Amino acid sequence: MSHDPFETQAAAYALGALDGEERAQFEEHLAGGCAQCAGAVREFGETLADVARETPPMIPPAHIKAALLQRVAATGSARPLRRRGWVRWAAATAAAVVGVSAFSAGLVASRYEARIGAMARETSAIRADLRRQEAALRDRLTLSQAVIDLLRDPATRIVALGGAGPSPAGTGRLVWHETAGGHLFVANLPPAPPGKAYELWTIAGGQPRPAGVFKVDVSGRASHPVPPAPAPVQLFAVTLEPEAGVPVPTGPIVLASAK
Amino acid sequence: MAWAGTDLIRRMAAGDADACGTFYDRYARLVYPLIVRIVRDPEDAADVLQEVFWEAWQAAAAYDPARGSPEAWIVTRARTRAIDRVRAIRRRSETFVAPIDEAPAPAEPGGDAAERAADRLIVITALDRLPDAQREVIELAYDGGLTQTEIAERLKLPLGTVKTRMRLGLERLRETMKPTT
Repeated sequence: MSHDPFETQAAAYALGALDGEERAQFEEHLAGGCAQCAGAVREFGETLADVARETPPMIPPAHIKAALLQRVAATGSARPLRRRGWVRWAAATAAAVVGVSAFSAGLVASRYEARIGAMARETSAIRADLRRQEAALRDRLTLSQAVIDLLRDPATRIVALGGAGPSPAGTGRLVWHETAGGHLFVANLPPAPPGKAYELWTIAGGQPRPAGVFKVDVSGRASHPVPPAPAPVQLFAVTLEPEAGVPVPTGPIVLASAK
Repeated sequence: MAWAGTDLIRRMAAGDADACGTFYDRYARLVYPLIVRIVRDPEDAADVLQEVFWEAWQAAAAYDPARGSPEAWIVTRARTRAIDRVRAIRRRSETFVAPIDEAPAPAEPGGDAAERAADRLIVITALDRLPDAQREVIELAYDGGLTQTEIAERLKLPLGTVKTRMRLGLERLRETMKPTT
């Protein structure tokens, strides 16, 4: 078959973008031994495997591996190589004995497989948990590092926020750099009611600008990164708002910096 | 401990179930997010993931290292199955699901996170360097699982243009990443 009509198909094929009919034709052409197309498909395949690394890795649910291995174990004996081994072993043993021991070996094997399956499930659950903890620690480390970097800068100041209105016990500290932004740390705020969240505002020239929404943990604490504001900020305030955030404050002020 | 991917596939072909487990451990985290990106529903994606590794186990004997690395082998299988699944769903519901309009899949940093971050940076830079027209076409196929005909219809472009952009884009991507891989 001529190569020409397939010249432009290899990329689409590697991407999985050929329609059923086109795909079948191209595969036929490949099977026909076109070295040029096979080479292109191979190289594009490697490129796409590299692109796959762009996607952050994700841990699949633990039960998938267990289910896969169970399926694999169930068919394992039907695979040619194993059968050959079994035949060789059987030939060296009396037929009656084979019957009995194969039966009990089967029992033992299936019991162990079940246990191994359970252990595999447990192990991957533990591993998933460790990854989660590691991710959480990494996040905290990143935050600490960002704050330390900010504190090294002499232009950074610490702004205190005091509780107001419905939450007089609330406190806040904002590590703030006029051009780099900063981080807000709050404590003693009650958890926001369902559908609500706290929203931070930077107020410059009398105009409040939204600086992100955040929620507090069960102990009433939160940290929240704050983007730099376009003009020198005179005042910081936190209000209670709908969860998605609003462009201008509508809810009660719960924390505010001193003027 | 560190079996090469090709050795694992060879052992799988010989019926070694342990190798299948190790192979899964090594590659499931790489391909699962690809499947999620295309299929979108994590449960469907997990289902496809199991199918992919099950088929890999069955097809291990047919693996030919000359035709690609183990990574490319499993990535291609995963993407093909995911695209099949999403096309079947689309056919069934006959409603068009607009692709790539949501946030990227959640990150789960692993052991060699720094090394992977570097890899990722290379790829992201390479994608960034693509002309918009080429990147758009590749992303629609890569993330959306659209066929070139569907992409042509969607972007109101001649099919030939889509084919050309796809090829030029992939070629450029390959060139940009080559020195580092």
